[in-house]
Amino acid sequence: MKFKAFFTDDGISLLDKRFLPAMDKVGRVCHVFLTPTHAMLLHNLLGATAAGPDGGGPQCVAQFAKDLIFREYNLSSRNGNQIAFSVEVALLHRALRSVLAVHAQPPAAGDAPGAPAIQVRLVNKLPAGSRSAMPFLTFETKGARAAVVQDVPISRPLSRSDVERLQAALDAAKDLPQTLVQVPDLPQLQSLVDRLKNVGDLLTVAVTQYGDLHLQVSTSLVTVGSEFRKLRVIGDRANAPVGDQNLTASTRMDMAVERGEALSVQANMKHLVKSLHCHLAKPDCTFYGIAPGGACLTVVFQYFIPGTRLADKSISFYCRLPVLDTGSS
Amino acid sequence: MSSPPSARDDDAPDLVCQIDCVQGMVDALSSVRWKRHQDALMELSLHGIVLTVEESGCLQAKVFLKRELFVEYDYAGDGRQRFGLSLGLLVDCLNTFSAPGQAATVEIRYPGPDMQLLLKSVGSPDSCLYAEIRTRIPDTISWDCHFEHDGNTPVTFTAKSAVLKETVDDLEWPGSSIQIRMQPDPPTVIFKGEGHGDLQIELPYYANTDLLIVFQCDREVSYRYKYKFLRATTSNIPTSAVKENRRTKVTIGRGGMLKIQHLVSLARPGMPYFRNIGGGTEQTSRIAHIEFFVKPEEDDNDS
Repeated sequence: MKFKAFFTDDGISLLDKRFLPAMDKVGRVCHVFLTPTHAMLLHNLLGATAAGPDGGGPQCVAQFAKDLIFREYNLSSRNGNQIAFSVEVALLHRALRSVLAVHAQPPAAGDAPGAPAIQVRLVNKLPAGSRSAMPFLTFETKGARAAVVQDVPISRPLSRSDVERLQAALDAAKDLPQTLVQVPDLPQLQSLVDRLKNVGDLLTVAVTQYGDLHLQVSTSLVTVGSEFRKLRVIGDRANAPVGDQNLTASTRMDMAVERGEALSVQANMKHLVKSLHCHLAKPDCTFYGIAPGGACLTVVFQYFIPGTRLADKSISFYCRLPVLDTGSS
Repeated sequence: MSSPPSARDDDAPDLVCQIDCVQGMVDALSSVRWKRHQDALMELSLHGIVLTVEESGCLQAKVFLKRELFVEYDYAGDGRQRFGLSLGLLVDCLNTFSAPGQAATVEIRYPGPDMQLLLKSVGSPDSCLYAEIRTRIPDTISWDCHFEHDGNTPVTFTAKSAVLKETVDDLEWPGSSIQIRMQPDPPTVIFKGEGHGDLQIELPYYANTDLLIVFQCDREVSYRYKYKFLRATTSNIPTSAVKENRRTKVTIGRGGMLKIQHLVSLARPGMPYFRNIGGGTEQTSRIAHIEFFVKPEEDDNDS
């Protein structure tokens, strides 16, 4: 089992500035999954069933094409050249920041231009005071005046069967909802949800095929909801019914579900709050959708190729929130 | 759960009003919220909305939101409509509407199809926030305070809200019961706490004009009040009242009944003028009145 690569500048700054802060908010420990073509950071994929994420927390998948993050990517294992292990996100982030700081030291006069690259390797080391070797992810770089080696402790690599389960869960999670609506302002949604969470723990989310997103918290004493209308729709769409302006938001939504033009699910407020932390990864677009049959609530984040409005296919980032009830669909 | 009917029902609601400063309303209502779960009585009339909360027959608070504070205020009910609801829920719901950077106007309606209090953001056609708060048949407020002045001249002082709050906060250390004494000569207000130790705070009228703005007292009066009740009267004074140097009026009435009146601004920051239903345009008049009544402890009276 071998892994050795150099970070690209874009890759390390994506991880440092966007994805690690977001992943850290979603959960303390994540899986790193390396395949011959992709590198992934995953939350809550194991333990999930094929039908959808379990109640443990939102599934979160950040998948990068290997060339976006690494160059000279050397990966080999007896398990189809796939390696997976778990790591504490905060430790990983701290190590990255430390090597970045050294790496950023300006070269002394007379040095060859171009800073040396940051290397990452999977190693087995004997930690001080221990009798058995432990696996580490080691980051190494040289600055002008210093060199640094950071060892981040990781779990033992996942067994073949666990890697297979991870891959199966990923494959199952690939199904996109038939209708996705674009949420224009994620921080605003987060501030709304921060206020809604005082009201109740259970959130009803509905998405219509004509671009309405409806969030509602209901307890025996109070119902609070928010409706966003005329959002951009991707996938299956329908024309908005005419003359429903004067209806209440919840009536409109109930009627849309009855007509089969909307899906509605109940999700845990805490999971939604966690998934909203993903805006720390500064996506260019965010879409909400409900998986067929109300299996889960899916949040898809999209990135543009810098300087364009074209989707960057080398990054795939999404969350799947477990649902507590298949809803009224 | 019953779902709300689709169209407006035939009989129009008793109250439809709109407020453009939700944060001010949240501030005003929060100032009488001294614990998490608190039942409140809401009273609607032609003149505005009054919210009353009370605790163990010894502490009562009222928030007066007069109709002039609203952008729209249509009351079609007979006389006064009363209903009970949870103050905490009302504040939490209103808070949802007051997201920073959003100057949402909120419409308040009563009753909804199921006698709910309905809140709805208005103004944006493509996004809408709404809340339905279940109401109850009102409890009869177990005591209504008949506040009367004792004697011909009211015994009263006015201090900056911040000063009063600080004074009461400082008395936390001795805790338990606090004596408030007012004496005409020299004109002074004295707070004295005896519990885990003694602490006496004097506010002399002549020493510092910043301390007491008004002082009226023709004879010495002294009563004891439970600290937790005194604290409830000042603990949630909104920061806006402190920043704007608002004043609080304290009056001791017959039998030692303590009345504490705060003023909370409902003006929208950065907007010097506004249009209210009375055609008024001045923001400065947009004040909610808050009144607290505290009964004195019984084992003590005039010294």
